[in-house]
Order: sequence, then C-alpha cells, then structure tokens
Amino acid sequence: MSISTAPWVWISALLSIAILSFLYRDNPLYKFAEHLFIGVANGYAVTFYWHNILVPALFDPLFRQGKLLYIIPFIIGLLYFTRFIPKISWLVRIPIGITIGYYVGASIPASIQAYIIKQIQGTILTPYNFQTWNAGTMGVIWSVILFIGVLCTLSYFYFSKAHKGILGTTSRVGIIFVMIGFGAAFGYTVMARISLLIGRLQFLLGDWLGIIH
Amino acid sequence: MKLTDFLIKLTKIDRRVIYLILAAVVILPLIFPTVERVRVMEPVEKLFNAVDTIPPHKALIIDFDYEPQTQPELEPMGIALLRHAFARHIKVLILSLYVQPLGLAQKALTQVTEEFNSEATSRADSIIYGRDYVFLGWQPPPLIPMLGMGVSITNVYQHDYYGNKTDTLEIMQGIKNYNDIALLVSLSGSSLPKSWVAYSQNRFGVAVAAGVTAVSAADFYQFYQTGQFTGLMTGMKGGAEYEEMVESKLGIKKKRKASEALPSLTYAHLVIIIFIIIGNIGYFIKRRSK
Repeated sequence: MSISTAPWVWISALLSIAILSFLYRDNPLYKFAEHLFIGVANGYAVTFYWHNILVPALFDPLFRQGKLLYIIPFIIGLLYFTRFIPKISWLVRIPIGITIGYYVGASIPASIQAYIIKQIQGTILTPYNFQTWNAGTMGVIWSVILFIGVLCTLSYFYFSKAHKGILGTTSRVGIIFVMIGFGAAFGYTVMARISLLIGRLQFLLGDWLGIIH
Repeated sequence: MKLTDFLIKLTKIDRRVIYLILAAVVILPLIFPTVERVRVMEPVEKLFNAVDTIPPHKALIIDFDYEPQTQPELEPMGIALLRHAFARHIKVLILSLYVQPLGLAQKALTQVTEEFNSEATSRADSIIYGRDYVFLGWQPPPLIPMLGMGVSITNVYQHDYYGNKTDTLEIMQGIKNYNDIALLVSLSGSSLPKSWVAYSQNRFGVAVAAGVTAVSAADFYQFYQTGQFTGLMTGMKGGAEYEEMVESKLGIKKKRKASEALPSLTYAHLVIIIFIIIGNIGYFIKRRSK
C-alpha cells in the first residue's frame, strides 16, 4: 500500500468521495462537489471557446487583419444578445433562424438516408441482406426473427384499428419484442453504472490509496 | 419466522445495505484479482481486423469524445486502439468534437506514446508527433469537421491542438480528405457515432466504427447489423475484448484496465440478478397473501 502524495490525486479522491456520499443521503458535501464540477466544466468551455474559436476565427481576422466580410457573422452573432433588451428582443429570431435552417438543411437528407432507408434495407428479407449480415449459420433464423419482430412491434403502435383478430395477435407478439428490447436496455444500463463505479474504485484504490496496482 | 415472512422482509431491505453489498463484491475482486477469460465477440473482432488491415498510405481517425462521466468505459478502448495502431505503424489522426474530452484524449495519447517510446531503440521505432500521429484538437460545432473533412482536413483544422500549422506536418502530406482515411472510430458516450454515419459515411463513404457506453449499446447494434458500422465495442466488456485481441494477436502485454474490471462486473451483475429475483418472489408472495 502506497498512498499518493500528489495534491491533485487527493483533491480528485476527496471530491469523488463527496459525490459518492449521495448514496447515503443528500448532503452539503455532495452539493459542493456537484456545483464545483459544473462550474469548472463550464468555465473551461467558455475560456476555450474564447481563446481557441472566437479570437482566432473571428476577432483576429476582423479587427487585426481587417477582413471586413467577417462583420456579417459578427453582427449576426451579436443579435443573440438582443434577448436581454425587451424592445428589440425579436431580433434574436434572425440568428436562431439561420442556425436552425442550416442544421435542418444539412440533417434532413442525411437522416432520411442513414436512419430510415438504410435501416429499412437492413430489415427487408433479401438474399443480399442474408449474405451481408454474415451472422453465420444462425443468420437466416435471426433475419426472419428480426423481420417478424419489426412488423409485430409496428402493428402494436398502430392505433387506428381495434387490436382484435390478427392485429390483436401481432400486437401481443410485438409487446414481447418490446419487452425484450427494454430488458436488454436495462441490462446494459446496469452494466454501464457498475462500470462507472468500478472506474472510480480503480482510481480510489489504485491511484490514491495504492492498494491495487 | 416462516420463509414467506422472511422473503417479504427481504423486499423491505434498506437500499444502503444493498449498496454496501455491491461495494464489497466490486472491491474484493479488485484487491484480490482473479483470471477471467475474455471471449472476443464478432463486432470487436471485425473492428480489430478493420484496423489491422489499414494500408500504409491511409490513416485512422480516432474521435475521442468521452468525458469524465464515461471515461471508465471508453478510455480502455481508446488506449487499446492507440496501442494497436502504433504497433502496426498506422498513421493516426486524433480529434474531439467537444471541449471536455480534449484533456482525456491528451492523457491517453501521452500514456501510450510513453509506453512505446520507453521501449524504442531507434527513431524509426519511436512514435513521433507529426510523423506518426497528430492531435487535431477541437473545431465546433461537430457538423463542421464531419462535413468539412470530406473536402479538406487541413482547411477544417488549420492548426493542431498545440498550435502547429497542420499543413506543415509530415503526416498530413499524404492525407487530404476522407479519401485518405481507411477508418474512423468514434469513442463516444453520446449519439455522435450515428452522426458520423449520417454526415461523413453517407455523404463521403468513409468507413465508420464505434466504441460506445453500455447504456447506449442497444441504440447502436442496429447500425452494426446494417453494416453502417464496420465494428462495434460496447461498454467495459467491449474494451476488454479489444485489449484481449491486442495482447493475443500483437503480443503487447501492458496494463489492461477493462479486463481487470471484468470479475467485479460479473459478480456485481450476479448480486443484482439475485436481488431482482428475491424482490420478485417477495412481491408475488405479498400479492397472494392479500
């Protein structure tokens, strides 16, 4: 056992314990560590934005190098601050509109292609689909299960008709698939949370206390 | 006391007792380590093979996008990937799409380069900044590098993280845009790997793989199944599998943080499953007795 003598390791360890103390109950130590983390993270981000983005990409070209075209993004950016002046606060819609327009224009075709068309292709039963899946001897079986699962799950979310007869059966099968999905997601969530605990304990027992190597 | 009463009493156990039991089963395997065999699954194997077959004239991009909250799961993946790439002398471009991961990316880079350089006997063996790898840093918002690197990487990242002009670096002489990138691996606790698929792969055809947290794994498997991800690592288990591949295929025997954590992870899961079963039995007994 060799306890660390590095001050930053001690600070990290004490703050980690402060955060973990929430498991007992809410307390001032936890609140202090939580606020400190959020404050430091935001402070780091703001200074980084200023020194690495705003100054080299906007202020230097505009005010030092005299590139006057940069006045347009500068003014549009400034319009965000009109939110604080009630009389002209409507001007904030201009930069928001430009930002949303840019993102929507870029994301709609990309999202349709990547998230809808490709995913539908991955569900359709075709010989090509069976080959590219490359899931070994069980590939065909899993393809069929996937196909049935997607159709039954979709039928469960079809509310324009009463869930009776065939629709009743398929929607009940759909619920099973949805439950399996939730179960998998829950299992992964448990794994993720335990992993984070392990990570912290590796730090506390290793880097700080030197019990594990 | 009857068994049924005992089981009902167990359902009312204080949550802090459960925390203590969980802490014990996590801590003990860390202090007294046991060997646990890591079985490598297909998604990780495919990722390993994709990295392993990168030709010398092409490069690997690693997007380090994990923050302190997700570091325990994703850092072992990043370190294992770097070990693999440096061992094979693959050119590596490192970037982050957010601010917080920058420090963690630099930490991982420093650790792995020091590992390699401490054993190097010549300049050719060493891992040299600007020749073997470059830390491009951060360029917001994420959409800009995702789309912009399809045209010119040095235009998007005119300066690297340390302030060097990127077009003067040796590594960037043969790398212009996505055409020179064999694989892009996104290590992220958010939905960014999907965005890489939507904007970079969809538009420019670059191969994308991902290392993701376990909590978000269920959202990503369908992208692996459709072939949109070349490979996939999920959670600490995914990191352990890649570490296993690096050690068994390349003979690199270094600290394996994810693999060392697997026994704790296994026992913690067992304890949680036992508590869920006890809770359910108690619930059904209570319902029947009403």
